[in-house]
Amino acid sequence: MSSGLLVLILLLMLLIGLALHQRQDVGPILRRILEQFAMLVPRMLLAMIAAGFIAKLIPKEAIASLLGDDAGILALPVAVIAGLIVPAGPVIAFAIAAVFAKSGASVPALIAFITSWSIFAAHRIFIYEMPLLGGSFLRLRLLSAMAVPFLAGTIAIIVGLISSFGQPLLAQ
Amino acid sequence: MASFEFLKNTDWSKEVLSSAFGNSFWGFLGAAVGFGLLCWVIKGPDAVWMALNEDFGLLVDLMPRVVIALTIAALIWVMMPRDRMSALVGTESGLLGLIVATLAGAVTPGGPSSAYALLAAVAVSGADRGALVAYITAWATLGLQRILIWDVPFMGAEFAMLRFIVCIPLPVIAGLIARRLPLTLRIKGAQE
Repeated sequence: MSSGLLVLILLLMLLIGLALHQRQDVGPILRRILEQFAMLVPRMLLAMIAAGFIAKLIPKEAIASLLGDDAGILALPVAVIAGLIVPAGPVIAFAIAAVFAKSGASVPALIAFITSWSIFAAHRIFIYEMPLLGGSFLRLRLLSAMAVPFLAGTIAIIVGLISSFGQPLLAQ
Repeated sequence: MASFEFLKNTDWSKEVLSSAFGNSFWGFLGAAVGFGLLCWVIKGPDAVWMALNEDFGLLVDLMPRVVIALTIAALIWVMMPRDRMSALVGTESGLLGLIVATLAGAVTPGGPSSAYALLAAVAVSGADRGALVAYITAWATLGLQRILIWDVPFMGAEFAMLRFIVCIPLPVIAGLIARRLPLTLRIKGAQE
């Protein structure tokens, strides 16, 4: 995962170089950093702790049994809700997805789960979206993107009718 | 030439403190304690310690990123010509605007700290709401870096490709819906 950090550092150096070149005043920049830091970090720590506990409480096996091929289109809402309540980063989300895949979840259900998590990931909402953009944007985004995981799952069901492409890897 | 007077301004420090420890801070504290107790009761003390231990590891990993991302966001916020930016992205940019936003979201590197920092910087300049929603939806569902680092190793390349393909049109659809929703959008810090 260090490639992400590397990109961030490169971008930072580039911007610092640009700021030096433009002889920007450090004052307003520092002020903005401190304001955003205060808004973000205390809440982020608590959200992270809460998310860690919730991840321990989610009944993974029980959910997986509802996501099989025989559940058909009914698996989609279950998968979307499961994605919605995983309040944690990719490590935990994909570990759960792998558990689902091993317990026989269908491909469309897995796609709906991962897509739903990637859009609604609760920790991201609390840690970044609420403090940086506010509740008004959050409401707009959630209402606009609500259909996306269902559409992804439905398209995957249609693709599944004509080809078996996209089976998950179960080796690990 | 640097101007640090704001650091001595007590009104400013009070405002910063109240934004750090406002109502939602206590809400989060309540949630953390509540779920911790629930975890203790249902899964036992071992699970609680294990969760806290994992949190600590995540924190060590996350903090440098957050600090760097906030610095990047502040630099962009100060240096970006916001009036010109909003002229560029502000007006209804048609379908093309949504497609450009989707592409930008798919290639934005880094985790949520950098994507949301960028989004916030563009949003305060009054960008088109459809483009904002399309951008962050694309980053979430189509982000190439995430797919390479997480989808491919965990689920296999074939599954990752299928998920990417079925998601391609969806950020544009979300952007179109966002433009039509009768909601007023008030972005934090936009009045500055």
